[in-house]
Amino acid sequence: MKNSELVDIISRKLVPYILLFGFYLISYGHLSPGGGFQGGVVLASGVTLLCLSRGVETALRSFPVGRMGLAESFVFFAILAIGILGLLLGRHFLGNFLPLGQAGEVPSAGFIFFLNLLIGLKVGVGISLILFALLREE
Amino acid sequence: MRRTLLSLALVLALGAVLVVGIGKVASPPELLRSYFASHGVEETGSVNLVSSIYLGYRAFDTMGETVVLFLAVAGVMALQGGRQ
Repeated sequence: MKNSELVDIISRKLVPYILLFGFYLISYGHLSPGGGFQGGVVLASGVTLLCLSRGVETALRSFPVGRMGLAESFVFFAILAIGILGLLLGRHFLGNFLPLGQAGEVPSAGFIFFLNLLIGLKVGVGISLILFALLREE
Repeated sequence: MRRTLLSLALVLALGAVLVVGIGKVASPPELLRSYFASHGVEETGSVNLVSSIYLGYRAFDTMGETVVLFLAVAGVMALQGGRQ
């Protein structure tokens, strides 16, 4: 499949910024509108743009399926581990065991920040994996 | 033609029921809303109240959602990506 120069160049310049914006949405999820799910979907949309403009094989070179599947499973275990850690430290399951800090600062809100990071990674990787499976040609 | 008219009448009747019902419904529960609005920031430390609800008060629910996503990915990979 041959694309036009325009699509090629624009998408190549745009994808890093889309990924950066996704990470911004994830890491500021406790301060501004956004959060893990939304930021993860933005990450996946960057990967989708890469798939549609440069081909799935090129995207798979940057985002190998094996490692993404590993990340997907590992992040779920990390969420479970955080939940059980809250249980061990004397709170309820998935209770906030980190200090809350000053509301409005970037490192605040205890483990909400870390859960946002994990969930953003998981959603981005998961939707990208679905897209790889659906867009791949024989 | 008769089927179209029948469907149209059915849809309009349903819409009228919904509009009247929304107008007559009781006001949404205020207790929980005002509790989140007044205590949410100091209890979870998150300025974004949406975040403080879905990762603070209802983190268990969010964990279930990640399980749903995990199962969806596993299903698509099993159906489509089995061949490598």
